[in-house]
Amino acid sequence: MRYIDPHIHCVSRTTDDYIYMSRAGVVAVSEPAFWAGYDRSCAASFGDYFRHLVDVEPKRAAKYGIDHYCWLCINAKEAENVELGREVIKLIPPLLDKPTVLGIGEIGLNKNTPNEITIFEEQVELAAKYNQLILIHTPHLDDKHKGTSIICDILKNDSRIKPERVLIDHCEEHTIRMARDHGFWAGLTIYPVTKVTPARGCDILETFGPAMICVNSASDWGESGPHMLTDTAREFRARGHSEAAAVDVFYNNPCRFFGQNPKWKHAPIDTSRMGTTSRVL
Amino acid sequence: MRTAQETLDTYYQEMRGRALALAADFDRIQRSAGSDKVMTDPRLANLKKCFEVLLSGKENRAAQMQMILSDQTPGPK
Repeated sequence: MRYIDPHIHCVSRTTDDYIYMSRAGVVAVSEPAFWAGYDRSCAASFGDYFRHLVDVEPKRAAKYGIDHYCWLCINAKEAENVELGREVIKLIPPLLDKPTVLGIGEIGLNKNTPNEITIFEEQVELAAKYNQLILIHTPHLDDKHKGTSIICDILKNDSRIKPERVLIDHCEEHTIRMARDHGFWAGLTIYPVTKVTPARGCDILETFGPAMICVNSASDWGESGPHMLTDTAREFRARGHSEAAAVDVFYNNPCRFFGQNPKWKHAPIDTSRMGTTSRVL
Repeated sequence: MRTAQETLDTYYQEMRGRALALAADFDRIQRSAGSDKVMTDPRLANLKKCFEVLLSGKENRAAQMQMILSDQTPGPK
């Protein structure tokens, strides 16, 4: 089966992960700009990071037959420094025409502070001005529900933002309805300690239906891995869902969201001729 | 699709393991120095509220527990 990992931080991963993904059937990944695990000292550090995302990582991925796309922004955590945030935002427009840049992301909130909200709104403005897709980071743990609510309010009150061009990521049981009810895409991040396990991810797919949901691993420098995506697909199939249903979730949905940017090369697969029989592994 | 019986059969051992792991977590805290003070930590109090949800027999337990564990104060203006 073919997969897309719609959210993975390849800069933090080893080459072994590319080999694993290639063997497992991952044909494309999308990498949002994020917090590197430490606060960077100046805007120039982000300039180098963006060059890594735009130039270096696509070549690294290509060696394993994987198409690498990316998103640019200042992440929510470092956005607490408003002055730095504004310097980084200025670096982004000249890069938006690069062939693998899909949009602005992952923007959002971390601790739901006024400073974070200021820079979030300025990056929404950037996306609106340049008609870019938006990938949203929602806060972790205790802060998730409040942060998701603030983010949804800001986005739905901006008439320039089309909800179907926004993906609200890291949704869980208590926030996915918020994202979906407003017409946004929702992301499920399979990252067991702080987010969702493969079983809970499948529970959410079954409870809320698979439409407009993208499942990702968000693999980064923490305890995570690209196998979380494929483990979730295994769990999904093991519960008796058909191959066609799995392809629709794990390949076609990302194609549908990303395909709103013409730079995205992959098209949804016609599953009408695929087996609809369930298979318990 | 699996029946409820098949679902229980599939997940029971994992559930058993997770329940025991959680019990052992509480035991570990309790036998450590200063446990009297820590046992009143609001985070543990919230976990105990979650266990009440777990035993309530009502649906959507995960979402209800998520809300117990969420900051529900108003956001900044």
